[in-house]
Amino acid sequence: MDDWEQFISNRKYYITEKMIMKENNVQEQLKEAGIDILKCMQCGMCSGSCPSGRHTSLNVRRLIRHAIRSQDVLEDEELWMCTTCYNCQERCPRCIDIVDAILKIRSIAAHKGIILPEHKQVIKLLLEYGHAVPIDEANMKKREELGLERFPETVHKDIEALNEVKKLLNVCKLADIIDQ
Amino acid sequence: MRIGVYICHCGLNIAHVINVHSLLEKISKLKDVVLVKDLQFMCSDSGQDSIAEDIRTHDLDHILVAACSPKLHEPTFRRVLQKAGLNKYMLEMVNIREQCSWVHMEEPQLATQKAFDLIRMGLARLKLLDPLQIKKVSANKEVLIIGGGVAGIEAALTLADSGYHVHMVEKEPTIGGKMALLNEVFPTNDCSICVLAPKMTDVQQHPSIDLLTMAEVSEVRGFAGNFQVTIVKKPRYVIEDKCKGCVDECARVCPVEIPNRFDLGMGRTKAINMPIPQAVPQVTYIDNDYCVGCGLCLQACPADAIDYNMKEETISIKVGAIVLASGYKPFDAARKEEYGYGVYSDVITNMELERLLNASGPTRGKVLVPSTGQIPKKVAFIQCVGSRDETVGNPYCSRVCCMSAMKNAQLLKERYHDIEITIHYIDIRAAGEMYEEYYIRSQSMGIDFIRGKVAEVQQDLNSKLFLRFEDTLSSEIREENYDLVVLSTGMEAPDDADKISRVLNLSRRTDRFFATAHPKMRPVDSHVKGIYVAGCASGPKEIQAAIAQGIAASAKAMQLLSRGELETDPQSAHVEEEKCIGCKICEDVCQFGKIKVNNGKAIVDEISCYGCGACSASCPTDAILMYNSTDEQILAQVRAATEVKSEFPLIVAFLCNWCSYTCADLAGVSRIQYPTNIRVIRVMCAGRVDPGFVLEAFKGGADGVLIAGCRLGECHYIFANYNAKKRMEILQGVLEDIGIDPHRLKMEWISAAEGERFARSIESFVDELREIGPIGSELLEGHNDG
Repeated sequence: MDDWEQFISNRKYYITEKMIMKENNVQEQLKEAGIDILKCMQCGMCSGSCPSGRHTSLNVRRLIRHAIRSQDVLEDEELWMCTTCYNCQERCPRCIDIVDAILKIRSIAAHKGIILPEHKQVIKLLLEYGHAVPIDEANMKKREELGLERFPETVHKDIEALNEVKKLLNVCKLADIIDQ
Repeated sequence: MRIGVYICHCGLNIAHVINVHSLLEKISKLKDVVLVKDLQFMCSDSGQDSIAEDIRTHDLDHILVAACSPKLHEPTFRRVLQKAGLNKYMLEMVNIREQCSWVHMEEPQLATQKAFDLIRMGLARLKLLDPLQIKKVSANKEVLIIGGGVAGIEAALTLADSGYHVHMVEKEPTIGGKMALLNEVFPTNDCSICVLAPKMTDVQQHPSIDLLTMAEVSEVRGFAGNFQVTIVKKPRYVIEDKCKGCVDECARVCPVEIPNRFDLGMGRTKAINMPIPQAVPQVTYIDNDYCVGCGLCLQACPADAIDYNMKEETISIKVGAIVLASGYKPFDAARKEEYGYGVYSDVITNMELERLLNASGPTRGKVLVPSTGQIPKKVAFIQCVGSRDETVGNPYCSRVCCMSAMKNAQLLKERYHDIEITIHYIDIRAAGEMYEEYYIRSQSMGIDFIRGKVAEVQQDLNSKLFLRFEDTLSSEIREENYDLVVLSTGMEAPDDADKISRVLNLSRRTDRFFATAHPKMRPVDSHVKGIYVAGCASGPKEIQAAIAQGIAASAKAMQLLSRGELETDPQSAHVEEEKCIGCKICEDVCQFGKIKVNNGKAIVDEISCYGCGACSASCPTDAILMYNSTDEQILAQVRAATEVKSEFPLIVAFLCNWCSYTCADLAGVSRIQYPTNIRVIRVMCAGRVDPGFVLEAFKGGADGVLIAGCRLGECHYIFANYNAKKRMEILQGVLEDIGIDPHRLKMEWISAAEGERFARSIESFVDELREIGPIGSELLEGHNDG
């Protein structure tokens, strides 16, 4: 490899590294998505309005502060306690797209494999049956009692369609998330 | 024509770099130059004297001084000319220090050449200068004040006591504004009406103040010094001169009971009433929205003051200046649905609490929970209702609500010792003299402060109100019951701000309050000369700030009118009628509204014209003349600059007087070095640059043209650099069409503080032009390709 090739290869490496860094950077990604959480004034309107926070440890205000200050937010388990009811986003006096930000951060976390075992289970089911909640024996029985067919008009019934869904999920590299 | 040229050494500041002797020799050979002199310090007394003497002995009629920046000594030398009996505008200053010797210290030869070029350019302009005369017009020393709140009252009294006649127009039946409704005021806890009422009375009794209540300004024509104002006065149906203000006689018999809007609808009053006990004028009025015309008050009035046939009146007055003090309106709390105002009766606003606390309010000063009629045991204040809230379009802080909530909390604590009070806040803003101490006092009195914006107000199963919020300092999510919830509503621009801005031709900020000429440096000047803004008209502020602005606005009005006459700036635009085709392009360009087409011809309001020249550059028939910066003068400079192509690349640079020229001076003062290739022409604004000037420069052989103005959004003339930008971008397209590289025309938007950036932009432009090649080279290439 001559100097020039070496330079190009280094350069390529540098650029991809940079891109990967950017892809994994919560703050950069939010900025790219046009979500400005930096203007948060920590007033607590979100946390006070949060129905989930009344029953769980979720504190949206703290979560947003965490997201502003650190990459560790990806590991914050409160990230998964939001029900995405949008109450906070509706009321935020600085008009911050709070729920959109949480969804974006979840997506980054998921791509890094930082998700809960329950989520992995759901993905497994999706990959196998094309349904996050596949039909079970009890439901099939109920359907028959009601005079319906055993399977509904979904991929449960149509193997060809199921294969297409699997192909799509494959292209999306969904399996990679649980393999990590 | 007999021209005298003076070259200053400025000690060694100029002479150290520039070869003054060779300059002298070259200049002496130029046409019409009768005398060339160099001096150690031109600005010294002896330097000034020698110019004055030469003017007399050599009969000089045009003077050129090549020295420092005109920003420094142009006024000095103009005075010298005037003293020697010459018109002071027959002077041209050439800047060979800040923009030559100080920035080209390593290039003495090129700097000398540049200095010579600059002097030739100066001479070309000098020969075309006109002996301008400053015109004077008489100014009316009366002042109109719109709005009779505390800011307007203060302005009126200051002006009237200083000998100016004042017309005050107030749309309500009484003056006093919002302050007259308040209970007590921070930080002294003075009774509000006790400190205001004497001033209100003074306004009415002052021989130099004409007070018009229930009146609004409907039209304003004319300009600074001579405004013609039309005022519409609504019928009061009570003759002001006859009414004794006894009110009991008429209101007692009136059968129509109405909600009292001066108690924000909480108390009741009659269709004929006195708005507040301390009303000025002390005269009742009939609320036309409710009166049924039964005639009972007419019979009851012992003074025969009732007149049902009163009509709307139109009044015309003439004034020299206008103070706008139109105030604010409280935010409509019902818009924040989560707080339940209008749904839960025990949720009230801060202003309603003021009325409840007020001895002349609906409860005679007792604070009672609306639903129970009992004194509350537990009160919550919710801050920032309608302020710092983009969901209702108000990102700004209303400035007074923190202090006023603390004030009302203190008053409640003082009256009802056992009461529990919590202020729910985001940030406490207590910035002002004695304000932080006031905050401390509130804390010491046992008022609780919880940091966290309240999320919602709800009612529990026992019909008790509770607040849902996070205590952000302990990260606890909580619910808490209260008897009474007070919403600290913010301030908004009043509904008629839109109408006022149209009548007065004033611009407003995105927050809908009136804009001032500069948010920091000119706090009470509007964009229109002769109109000043005071109090909450220009944004939320507390009483002391509103009073200060009332005084400031009256001082500015006096500054304008004190001599009884105004001088026209000879820099103003002027329309040559025979050339004007009435196309109205100039009308669109002048965002100040100082040029108007009337009967097919444009007319400039030369007294209030700011002289930016944007209209002149936009005129398709060159009908608009800028007196001290004519097209001919600028074109002569361009031609002189390109006459001898002493360097490659040669750049003709148009620098705006306010930012880029000043920042080029700053580069000089800071000794920041840059290439010698630019030949500077000073214009009042980048918007003055006519595309014709640029084309003339290229035609003459300039390799590049630079147009530099203030940063976008910071133009001295507010909008004019946007005109320049638009115009030059189109011109770049035209250049490209005719085969000239559009990169030869460069625009820079630089502030007066960016000397380094200015120098670097010259450097990079020179490099770019070196790459592009001499002017016309692209045409040759194109020819070869073809």
